[in-house]
Formats: sequence, C-alpha cells, structure tokens
Amino acid sequence: MPRRVDVAVIGAGPAGLAAAIAARGQGAERVMIIERAEQLGGLLPQCIHNGFGLVYFEEDMTGPEYEKVFIEKTRDLGVETQLETMVIDMDGKRNITAVSQTHGYMKLKPGAVVLAMGCRERARGALGIPGARPSGILTAGTCQRYVNIEGYMPGDRYVILGSGDIGMIMARRLTLEGARVEAVLEIMPWAGGLIRNEVQCLHDFGIPLLLEHTVSFIHGSNRIEGVTVSKVDRQLRGIPGTQRSFACNCLLLSAGLIPENEISLKAGVELDPMTGGPVVDQHRQTSVPGIFAGGNVVHVHDLVDWVSWEAELAGRSAALFADKGKVKVAGGVKVVPGANIKYVVPQLISGKDDVTLYMRVTQPGQNATVKIGGAMKKKFRFVRPSEMITIDVKGNKLKDAGAGKELVVDCEIKGSG
Amino acid sequence: MAARETIICIGCPLGCRVTVAQDKKGRITQIKGAECKQGEKYVLKEFENPVRTLTATVRTGDESYPLLPVRTSIPVPKILLADIMLQTAKARVEPPVKAGDVILKNVLKTGSDLIATSDWSG
Repeated sequence: MPRRVDVAVIGAGPAGLAAAIAARGQGAERVMIIERAEQLGGLLPQCIHNGFGLVYFEEDMTGPEYEKVFIEKTRDLGVETQLETMVIDMDGKRNITAVSQTHGYMKLKPGAVVLAMGCRERARGALGIPGARPSGILTAGTCQRYVNIEGYMPGDRYVILGSGDIGMIMARRLTLEGARVEAVLEIMPWAGGLIRNEVQCLHDFGIPLLLEHTVSFIHGSNRIEGVTVSKVDRQLRGIPGTQRSFACNCLLLSAGLIPENEISLKAGVELDPMTGGPVVDQHRQTSVPGIFAGGNVVHVHDLVDWVSWEAELAGRSAALFADKGKVKVAGGVKVVPGANIKYVVPQLISGKDDVTLYMRVTQPGQNATVKIGGAMKKKFRFVRPSEMITIDVKGNKLKDAGAGKELVVDCEIKGSG
Repeated sequence: MAARETIICIGCPLGCRVTVAQDKKGRITQIKGAECKQGEKYVLKEFENPVRTLTATVRTGDESYPLLPVRTSIPVPKILLADIMLQTAKARVEPPVKAGDVILKNVLKTGSDLIATSDWSG
C-alpha cells in the first residue's frame, strides 16, 4: 500500500521549505518533504555570503541565516522530512516512487505534489568549449561547495567563464582566500549578474570583467594549465586575431542555470521551452492537475526572496487541492511573450483576477515601456536580462481590456542599453 | 587632499556612474551623475568611508563539519577585508555554537564582531 500524505514536496531547498510551511499554514495536515541530500536547505548552506532576505525579511542575511528561519518553522509545524531519499518516478496520477538507504523502496500517494527541485548549473558539455579534457574545470557552484563546506581550495589561479552571480561571488571569495582570479569572461555585451555583485565582487578587488569574450581553447593534459580567450562578434563567433592566453589551474563555469525537471517530464508535465520549467497557471498548478511547482524549477529567479514567495503560493494551492480535490484552474488566458520579452510566468491566467507577472527581457535598454496587452503599461528607466521584472496587474483592468484567449506582453525601448 | 573618483551606484539596475570631487580641505565640491538623491547619499558614503559586510569561514577541526560560516556583525572598512581574513584564518571554535555567537570580539578594533551564521552542535 502506498503511503498517503496530503502534500508531498519534492526538494528541500528554499522553495521546498517555503512550500511545505505554506501548505501547513493552509491547513494540510500531513506534509512531507522528500530531499535527496543529507540535510535541509538545498544550496543555501554553501551560500555563506550576504544579500539574502533583503526583500522578504527586510534584513541583510547570509544563506545559512535565511535557511535557518525556514528550517525551524518546518520543525515547529511538524512537517515530515525524508532526507537522503531520491524520487525516481512519478506518474500523472501522483504515484511517487522513491528510494532511500534507510527506508528502501517507498511508494507514496499524496493528495497534491509541489515540485521544488530547483535548478542546476550548465556544465562544460552544454557549453561546447574546444580543447583538451584535463581536470580543474568545474562549475562555480561545485567550487563553492568545496571552498565553503568541505574546506579545500581546488586551485590557486582561476579564470571564470560567465558573469552570473555565483561566478562573481566566487571570484570575491577565492580572492579573499588568497587565490588569484585572472579574469571573468562574459560572452554577452553586458554582465550576467546583479550590479551590486559586479561592483562588490569584481571592482572591489580589481578583477577584470571581459565583456564579449569567451574561452576558445583549453590547455593542459592531466591538469588544466591555461585557457585561450577570444573576443566575439555579434553572432558570438570568435574574432580571429583577438586571442590572448591566461595561465590558470582552475576554470570555473558560471554560464547559466537550468531548471531541473526530469521528474516533471515523467509525470507528463508540459514544459515551457523559454523557461525550461513547467507551464504554470496563476495558482502555480502545472498542466497536470494536482501537481504544482514553485521556485527555480519553474524559472530561474535573481533573488531567493522571490523563490520563497512563489513556492508559498504553490504550497497554498497544493493544500487547497489536497482538501477539495481540485483547484479552480484559471479561466484560460494564455500569456504570450511579445517584442523583447523572453518569457512571462505564469503562462496561464484567469483574465479576471489580480495577478503578478514575472518576466525577463531579451535585450537591455533605457526608457522602456512594458505593455500588458491592452490592460496596462508600466515604464522602467532601465531593463536588463539579468534583472527580473515584476508587474502587479489588477483583475478589473484585464476584464475591461477583454483579454480574450491571449494576452501579449511587449517591451518597447526608446534608448539602447 | 584633493581627490576625484567615479563610483557606480548599486542602488538599482540603472547603475549610475557618479563622479565625486573633493578640494584640498576635504570639502565635497562636486557630485555629478546620480539620477536620484538616495544614489547621491550612497555614493557620498562610499566615497568617504566604503564599508562591506565580510563573510568567511572558520576551521572547526571536525572532519564531518570542517567549516563554520561567519560574518562581521556590522560592515567594516573595505580596506581591512584582507587583514580580517588573516584573523579568521587563525580563529578556532569549540562546539556548541549558535548562530549569532561571537567568534572574535571587536575584530581589528573595527567595532564589529565576527559572528557565527550557523549552529554547530559538534
């Protein structure tokens, strides 16, 4: 007999913890978090830097401090946690199969599920960098784990490919630990992370940020000995004659995050090719009834604060579904990304209720106007792909605009970035 | 001493480049390029006394939990970051530790304590 719980949450990172707490708060009695690692918190324990909680708690916290608040709350609320347990299968009727060393093979049939698996880093194979295959090439997050949790430095001379936030934060961390960071390379003409990280992690330590540059060759046989970098053109192709070399014994990759959705796919959840995460409605219900999703598994957020909020919404909705057997699916207005909009979440709204839309632009620019169909406009002094845009839309505005079946979101730019 | 510096404001995605100039007597003679008053305030503070919260780790000696994460309780002068790192490298801790416990008091006389950011029961 499968075990029955009201809400099962897959993943115990910031999203999973927030979803479980919210599900309990909404009245779900038996809430279980299933986590493959040996501890709660996901990536937060290794994010020892500050900058967390500025929005959620209006306080500047480190990763471990932020996680502690949520972990203590799950304990106070009696949320059951299954650690070192891997979900290996789930079908469209929420039949979950999981395995763990202590419990062996486990069947679970929850009233509702929250997907909270987060995201993973793009590795070398996904980037297609030419050259040798030596050791010393790792993702910024893996390096962060070595340096901040396990207590050793994988190298003392680094080049960092990609200017995502984790890459810049590691550039500072490694420098403070006595290593030399030769350069951070960014293939795009703009930095991939937040401006405060560019200033406080790179400028503060005189670490060069080379925009429109990428690694064009990796040198070394057993261990990486250096990289050749090239400037790229508009089509992101290396420009001949611009090559230069850096000696290094580590190359860190910080070139994007991908929502982790293997289990979602097994359950038949529809994914959005632009976000890499499930298509969700405004309750954060996926295309499969009773399966909800929140946090970086849906789309990669800039701030953990927003991950927590989105997962809380998913957790509340899951508790309602577990109780009533359904959550009223939004009326069915599709939100479609238009000019200069990469994606919008949620992808499906009712068209008559208040809703918050989260989106990213494709190109940066100044004096931008974001148009939510005919319902409303919002002006922004500056938009950047690395900064998520959040817009609250009133239900009556949507109703008046008669959104129909599709609501197109556009971003008009008057000045270039 | 007269000085002039361009500082990038981190208050919002705009990232204004603000130029601050100071005359020989240390008076601010110019602050140019900020789009808002808050930005000017930030840049002035950053010009006069740039401070940062330092986060780092301290060795525990425990193989199963080698590092305890720590932070400065209040921001410290930017120029002292490397020196404070040398102090954290020398620090040792004994369990049990609660988040918020002081690991090094008034580190390098900055008025800031180095505090734990996580519990460690040992």
